[in-house]
Order: sequence, then C-alpha cells, then structure tokens
Amino acid sequence: MYFQAEQKGIKWEINVNETRTHWSISLKPETKDWSHYEMPKSSFLELDNAISFIHNNSSYVFDVVGSGTDYTVYARGSYRVIKIFNDEMLLHESLKQDGGLVGSDKLSAGMPGKITKVFAEEGKEVKKDQPLLIMEAMKMENEIRSPKAALIKKVFVKEGDVVESGAALISFEKSK
Amino acid sequence: MFKKILVANRGEIALRVIRACRELGIGSVAVYSDADRNSLHVALADEAYHIGPTPSKESYLNIAKIIDVCKKAGAEAVHPGYGFLSENEDFARALKKENLVFIGPTPENIEAMGDKLNARKIMQEAGVPIVPGSPGPVTTEEEATKVAQKIGLPVIIKASSGGGGKGMRIVHKIEDLPSALRAAKSEGLNFFKDDTVYIERYIGNPKHIEIQIFGDSQGNVVHLYERECSIQRRHQKVIEESPSPSLPPEIREKMGEISVRAAKAIGYIGAGTFEFIFDNKTKDFFFMEMNTRLQVEHPITEMVTGIDLVREQIFVALGRPLSFKQSEIKQTGHSIECRICAEDPVTFIPSPGTIRRCRNPQGPFIRVDGYAYPGSTVPMEYDPMIAKVIVWGDNREVCIQRMKRALLETNMTGIKTNIVLLRTILQHPTFIDGHYTTQFVEKEISVNPDIFRFVLDESFLIAAAITAYNDRKSKDTSRLKITTRWKDMARLKGLRN
Repeated sequence: MYFQAEQKGIKWEINVNETRTHWSISLKPETKDWSHYEMPKSSFLELDNAISFIHNNSSYVFDVVGSGTDYTVYARGSYRVIKIFNDEMLLHESLKQDGGLVGSDKLSAGMPGKITKVFAEEGKEVKKDQPLLIMEAMKMENEIRSPKAALIKKVFVKEGDVVESGAALISFEKSK
Repeated sequence: MFKKILVANRGEIALRVIRACRELGIGSVAVYSDADRNSLHVALADEAYHIGPTPSKESYLNIAKIIDVCKKAGAEAVHPGYGFLSENEDFARALKKENLVFIGPTPENIEAMGDKLNARKIMQEAGVPIVPGSPGPVTTEEEATKVAQKIGLPVIIKASSGGGGKGMRIVHKIEDLPSALRAAKSEGLNFFKDDTVYIERYIGNPKHIEIQIFGDSQGNVVHLYERECSIQRRHQKVIEESPSPSLPPEIREKMGEISVRAAKAIGYIGAGTFEFIFDNKTKDFFFMEMNTRLQVEHPITEMVTGIDLVREQIFVALGRPLSFKQSEIKQTGHSIECRICAEDPVTFIPSPGTIRRCRNPQGPFIRVDGYAYPGSTVPMEYDPMIAKVIVWGDNREVCIQRMKRALLETNMTGIKTNIVLLRTILQHPTFIDGHYTTQFVEKEISVNPDIFRFVLDESFLIAAAITAYNDRKSKDTSRLKITTRWKDMARLKGLRN
C-alpha cells in the first residue's frame, strides 16, 4: 500500500507491504533516497492503546492516536504530529486542489478555549507569524500566529466565543 | 491530633497532603470540581465532596463552599496546598472565625508578605539585603526616570500586587521607560486589580535561590537550607535542585541566618520560603519575595534533609514546637526535581486531554508526586503540571544521571509533555557545569529546535504507516461483510419464496 506523509514540514513517500511473516516498509523523504525496513511479525505486538515492534534492534512502544489523515504518535516521552494519506485520500485531495499534499487554508483551534482578542480582519493580508488572535486556555493567554503569508478570507469567531478543539477559527484565500 | 483535615486543593499537592494525613492516622477530606471527578486525589482520600463547576472561582477558590464542607464532614483543619487560597488572608481569617485551623502562617504573616512593596520595607528594616530600587511606589514618568537614573539601568518595573511573572517590565534604555511603566501598571490593574508599581535594579546574571524556613508558635525558627530554581521559562520553574551548585558555603550559611532573623522579625509561623536573586558574578544576594506557603518544589528539601515538611506543618498547626533544632539539620547528598507538564515542549502551548498510557519511573531513590494514571484527564482549566519526578543521589553527578534514567522510563501518551525539553536541558553543558542563570532556558534552549532528536523520525513514520495500513485494511474487510450481507438477504428471500 502506498502512502504520502508529512512530518515536521517534510514530505515522505511510504510503501507498506504485508506478508504472512513480515512487515516490509520503505520510506523516502523528499530529496533523499528510499530506505527499507523488514520487520518480522514475531517481534510485532498489539497492546492496549499501543503497538510494539523492534526497530534497529531496539524495542519501541508506540501509541498512535488519531484517524483518517491526522495522527499524533507518542513514544519514549517524545511525539510527532503526522499527516498520512493513502491512495484513495490522495485522489480526493488532487481532485480538490492542483495535486500533491494539501496545504491547509484553514486555521483551527488546537485545543478548547475562549477567544479573548481578535486581530485578524477579513480581506486583509497577513505576514507569516503575524498574530491573528488570542485564545485563553489553561490559565494562560496563547497568541495564535499566522502559519504563512496569506490573505484572510473569513474570520469565524469573535471575542468572547468559547471554542472546541478542532473548531474552525480563520480561513485563508487559496494560496497560488 | 486532628481527626480530619480538609485538603483545599487538587492534583498532586492534594495527594501529598492526603498521604501525610494517612501517615498520621488523620482522616482526609477531598474536594473536587466537575472536571476532577475522576482525579486521583478524589479516589485516594477518605472522603470526597463535590464543590462546584470546573472554573476555580466556583470551586477551589470558593471560601464559603469549602467552609461548608468542613462543617458537613467535621474537619477541624484545612490544608490549602499551594496556589488557590494558600496565600489568601481572607480565607485564613474566615477559617479562624469558624474555629477551624488554617494549616499555614497567620493571616497577619500572609498580609505582610503579600504586598511586595511592604515586604521589601519590612525586610529592609530586618536587615535583609534588598535589590536597590525605589523607596516606595512610583506613579509618574518623572519619578520613574529619576529612580532609574539613580540606581542605574537596566531596571525592572514590578506590580506591587503581582506575581507569577505578571505585571513586570524590563527596561534597558531610558526612552523605553514611559511605555514600560504604562504597560506594567495596566497589567497590574487587569490581573491583580491594583496598578501600584515600584522599580528595582535588574540583575544581569541572576540565579533564583530560595531558603526554606520553618517557624512554630513558640517563636522558634529554623532554616532548611536552599533550593536553586533558575531553570525557568517565563518565570515558571521547570527544574529545581538542592543544594545549589553555585552557592559558596559561607554565603549559604549567611542566607540561612538572615532568613531566620527575618522570619523571627515578623513572627512567622509554619513553612515559608524566602526567594533571593543571587548574582553569580559578584556572589551578592538580594531579597526578592517571600512565599507564605509550602512550595511546589518542597520535595527536594525533604530528600536532602530527610524531613517531612507537610507532617511538620500539621504538627506546628497543632501548636507543637518544631521537631528539630537548627544544629540537627544537615544537607545530605543532592536532589533534583523535574516538573512534567502537559504542554508542547517547543511552543509551551498547553495540551489538555485524556492520558492513554502512563508509565512512572521507579527504582532506587526515585520519587514521583503526580496524579496521572491511564484514562485520567488533564483538564484545560487548571495548571498544566501533571507530575514531579524527584531523584536523590550521593552527589550532583549521580543525581543528574539518575534523573536522565528516570526520564527515559517516564512515558505519557495522549497528551503532549515537556519530557524531551527536560532531557535536553539535563544534557546541556551549561546545566551540567551548574552556572546557569534564569535566562538559560529562554536564551539557549528555546531557540534550538532540535529537542526532538531522541527518537528518529523514521520510527514514528513506520508506526503511523502500519496503523494507517491496518485502518484501511479493516475498512476494506467491512465492505466485504456488506457484500456478504446482501448475499444473505437474497438467499433468505429465495428461501421464503
């Protein structure tokens, strides 16, 4: 099975092959070559809320949280946020846009909170890292900045709104 | 001895107090808000009472509700923990009026040290060195400019009722002074309802070193030596250690003596901490503020002195004299504490949610004060700190290795944690040589984005790919089942005909 993934801003191509005895995984980061990993299924375990396997002779316990295209993978006190698309999803995306991985043109709330200040204005251009709004969560004020230079299409929230995790906050005009 | 103590707090400190009560045979009464129903302190206490909706104002900060629970449960004393109502003199007074014991200092102690300007004056009169600054509040730009020119730039403008790093502005150039003054005053008004500000010299190579003191109702006061808390980010402590690797022994003794003298001068009862700014170059120390409560980082003092501070708080509240004399207090070995917080280690944005897997470190000389367990929730309305990992070692080197070992064993999934940040700090040469200042994390760690190097990128991708593969495979198989169901339906229809 073929996938495309994005992690820490880098795009990867992935091939997963399953046989009765082995997992065969190939990874290719953009601008580099393919690397291959063979994993015997005897060393692969499914646990409560985790999968465990031996990689590079070291045993890992990974907790993969998420579904669809967005996953957060935890292991050894560390984590990664990964977007992964199988071929069906890639087809959908390429029909929606001009192909390749989707660049997000919507800013969503990363956690539940209350909007205390809105700086973004519809129709105005913003620079990368420019503050768009302030959200209060966990006793702290969090300044939310623009992920890229863009033109603001719609602002979905106003001061005083309480939002849930994943709620749409701002949408940008499609970047060229 | 008290029959029951109400713990007016939540999270790990509530657990800490419940444990001290248990060890003394005292009944523990927990209170909880909506969000904390499945919290560990509720499960472990002898009794638990619901005190309201999640927002702190309606639950943990609600004095009337807490006193109500005391009466219902028959608790004779209240331990306020840290934060919440622990430094609220109105709460202390309200308890006194109802003949309930507040396990902490007197309301007068709290009031005296709660106003930072007043505290400065009292300390100065007691002979405690204070940071050179304005003799009183500063209201106009002219006053501020005169003070700044007298004590020399850079200066820091501080809100008198402030705390937790709010209501402060650092000024390096005289022309920035007017706007900084306005900003500090407005923050003081917005967060603490008081726009009184004063000015102090800003110390360039500052270390945050604090002295733990303990006083009883008979006028005895001792100090339990120091803790260094310079590993901070935006004035939030991240790692603390005791003893301080940079403190010369004679300065240590001097700071201890001065703190004891100051505590006696104000008739302080209970556990308290004097926070000092220590200039690592000149070895000068200046009083910053006094915390009239038990501190988050108290465990490292317990590990190094062998004294149970919460137990002693209960004894002092009963009116007993201190269980130890100054000559009996010694620092043995070294201790470090790391605060595990539910936040993104790079952006520090809080990461509330449900904890899925949870593994605490164990083994020799490890202590974990935390409230996480698999399936527990980290609510978004409260502090993001979920656990403190504390280690003890014969010396600092052993301690650092042991803490690195402990953090390798610590694993929490479902929420982001700052574990990789802690591991990065512990390996940094500036931390290892001990001469780090309060600027260290923001200047050397926060700008280096490579704190995710402990696990290879590929390993995560492999896990995600296999999971995505299995997700897709199970979707295909369920489609197969639907086809079979259609077949079944047709067969059934065929049979009926």
